[in-house]
Amino acid sequence: MNTRIIYALALTLTSCWAHAVEGDPQPSVMWEYFHQRLLDNADFVFDEAVKVSVPPFAEDARQVPIEVDARALPGKVERVMIWAELNPIPQVLTLYPSAELEKFLAVRIRVEQATPIRAALLMDDGIWHVGSARVEAAGGGCSAPSVVRAQEGWEDHLGEIFGARFKAGDNSRLRLSVSHPMDNGLVDSIPEFYVNQAELRDRSGAVLARIDLFSAVSENPTLTLGIKGHPETQLWLRDNNGNEFTADIP
Amino acid sequence: MKRTRLHQMFALSALCGAMLLHSVGVQAVTDEEILDDANTTHQIVSNGLGLAGQRYSPLATVNVDTVQQLRPVWALSFGGEKQRGQESQPMIKDGVMYVTASYSRVFAMDARTGKELWQYDARLPDGIMPCCDVINRGVALYGDLVIVGTLDAKLVALNKDTGKVVWRKTVADYKAGYSITAAPIVVKGKLITGVSGGEFGIVGKVEAYNPVNGDLIWTRPTVEGHMGYVWKDGKKIESGISGGEAGKTWPGDLWKTGGAAPWLGGSYDAETDSLLFGTSNPSPWNSHMRPGDNLFSSSRLALNPDDGSIKWHFQTTPHDGWDYDGVNELVSFSYEENGKTVKAAATADRNGYFYVLDRSNGKFIRGFPFADKITWAKGLDKDGRPIYDESNRPGAPGEGKQGSSVFVAPAFLGAKNWMPMAYSQDTGLFYVPVNEWGMDIWNEGVTYKKGAAYLGAGFTIRPLNEDYIGVLKAIDPKTGKEVWRYKNYAPLWGGVLATKGNLVFTGNPEGFLMAFDAKTGKKLYEFQTGSGVLGSPVTWEMDGEQYISVVSGWGGAVPLWGGEVAKRVKDYNQGGMVWTFKLPKEHTL
Repeated sequence: MNTRIIYALALTLTSCWAHAVEGDPQPSVMWEYFHQRLLDNADFVFDEAVKVSVPPFAEDARQVPIEVDARALPGKVERVMIWAELNPIPQVLTLYPSAELEKFLAVRIRVEQATPIRAALLMDDGIWHVGSARVEAAGGGCSAPSVVRAQEGWEDHLGEIFGARFKAGDNSRLRLSVSHPMDNGLVDSIPEFYVNQAELRDRSGAVLARIDLFSAVSENPTLTLGIKGHPETQLWLRDNNGNEFTADIP
Repeated sequence: MKRTRLHQMFALSALCGAMLLHSVGVQAVTDEEILDDANTTHQIVSNGLGLAGQRYSPLATVNVDTVQQLRPVWALSFGGEKQRGQESQPMIKDGVMYVTASYSRVFAMDARTGKELWQYDARLPDGIMPCCDVINRGVALYGDLVIVGTLDAKLVALNKDTGKVVWRKTVADYKAGYSITAAPIVVKGKLITGVSGGEFGIVGKVEAYNPVNGDLIWTRPTVEGHMGYVWKDGKKIESGISGGEAGKTWPGDLWKTGGAAPWLGGSYDAETDSLLFGTSNPSPWNSHMRPGDNLFSSSRLALNPDDGSIKWHFQTTPHDGWDYDGVNELVSFSYEENGKTVKAAATADRNGYFYVLDRSNGKFIRGFPFADKITWAKGLDKDGRPIYDESNRPGAPGEGKQGSSVFVAPAFLGAKNWMPMAYSQDTGLFYVPVNEWGMDIWNEGVTYKKGAAYLGAGFTIRPLNEDYIGVLKAIDPKTGKEVWRYKNYAPLWGGVLATKGNLVFTGNPEGFLMAFDAKTGKKLYEFQTGSGVLGSPVTWEMDGEQYISVVSGWGGAVPLWGGEVAKRVKDYNQGGMVWTFKLPKEHTL
């Protein structure tokens, strides 16, 4: 091969995929890539006020709980992004919260191998505040077929939502679970089929939070949101096939 | 609380940030474009190359002198394990091809290169009940939407640039046996679809939806006795019982599970402002359970597109006892006779007769056999009604027993099945894919159970000739004369295309796309696509060149229902591909 081409290629690669950035609590070769792809190269800080909790080891790589607690972070949140850096499908969700939401959420995801988990909050100062954690895993969580679809009559339960609101002092926790295979298209002959849109609404229909979901979210997705006060809410979901589901959470 | 110093970003690397999005400058499809599709060559925005369904193209660059030089330019696989049963007709708009594949999938690809742009895979429940393979016959295009019917009886509208679902509506309950395999059509801003399920005792219906948001506009049941409805300002309003009242042509309450599924969709005649839809067999197959004509089964219907009311009907097989569905396409055309223009419509029925009707009122003009052997009827009377040979109606089952078996031609899969014929405006001939076969058929007792097969009949299909089943026939609709025929070993199951290049294209289960001289029937070209061709070929013009496309992928009803015939085709292999052809530049004369 022409050496000049190699040189040019190497230059391109190094300029695109720089090595771990200074101060990263979970140094990763993929940080720069996601900084460009997801955060659009915007200003950021690694901030311990964004606490990401994961189990030290993924006992079940198809159901790995992630908790993001940024209640210590002052200011208004514009957007929250969560991703698993070394996953084949890295993006987990993007949350667009209203002021009615607490800076707290939890979700279960699939991981394919040990990976840094990032939660980035775009605050009203225009800066992404990034929290990090690392989950160890034996792997394979993304390429195993869903258990749901092997069960007979799964379509009768598709989109069933189990959920409840729990009081947590002045505020509430919403804990929700949805019956859905969340197929990510990585398993042979099983096309993508997953919930990709969600909205949490109050009783008047006003949107409290809009969420874009990706197929890194576990099958039968489990989602926990913190909301201010004790309102009754409604959850609306739509999958990539166009199925829509709603549930009232009194 | 620890926080790293702010990482401020001053320069974007254009090299890394450049995510080039595919942009093809796609324009929205309008009603005018759909109405004019038969006359435009740069795109295909209707099923049938024009709403009349003539499948005729005025393109002639590929012609009898050049067709031998036709070369494939690209092919795209439908991938995975879902190769079988490809019966779609591609659509073309602004350099993008939209084609469906089996299992209710939709593919969009660059029509110049075959590069896939997006793919939609409907997630189908395990309980779907397609009678005759997991096929799909194509999409409708309207505005920015690509609209497909699915095997679980839903309509899905996709964004034509991204393939993302815009809306999705349930047309009927798949657990009761409903499904959709036909391409929906768009007429006067309305999306029109039928349903499948005539083997499960469903009630056939034609429905119109708002293509923009999927709201139901009207529904018209195709079984006598059922109420039709229109929706005005969100209100459901009765719009008359089909056939006036229940019980006129059905005994007891069998009309409640009467079948008559318009499963092949339909066409539209702008001159008479009529939707032309055909209906399937009545349910169950056992005709002794339902004395009477059983309207509107095995019929052609002209519907008013504004409200779905039935303008006229023509029943090809009243009181069907042989599964002679009347769904086959009714193609509008005109011809001169005694100095007058006759506004006609023609159809080649499952029952072996070719009918020419007056499309303004549904009156019978003439009919004649297009199959070599017809035994269930002795002929047609002056109104086109069959003169039955009652000895060839399978006998009534006795108490818990099987009725007497008879050998009848054509077989239940029909002298012609779903595969659309073509009409050449140059030769004035119809090019009809015919199958010469018969069946042993007998009746059995049956009771209706939701979601279970509702036949009351047993059957096995047999070839009539050792050396061929399929015959492509050129038929003169004015005289009934057969001008030429091409015999094919396997049954024909693919659509036909006629062009101004004096050519007729079709494919066969052996895997060949073939081109014939439209006047003589001489085979001028064939290309092995690797698997059986069941799709309908299309042609269009792009960058000054004439392209031809067809899908390939053996499957469909024949290997599933085909008895002795299935043995004949058992070695044909599966494979799902779109093939696209054109002439090398130096051969375009």
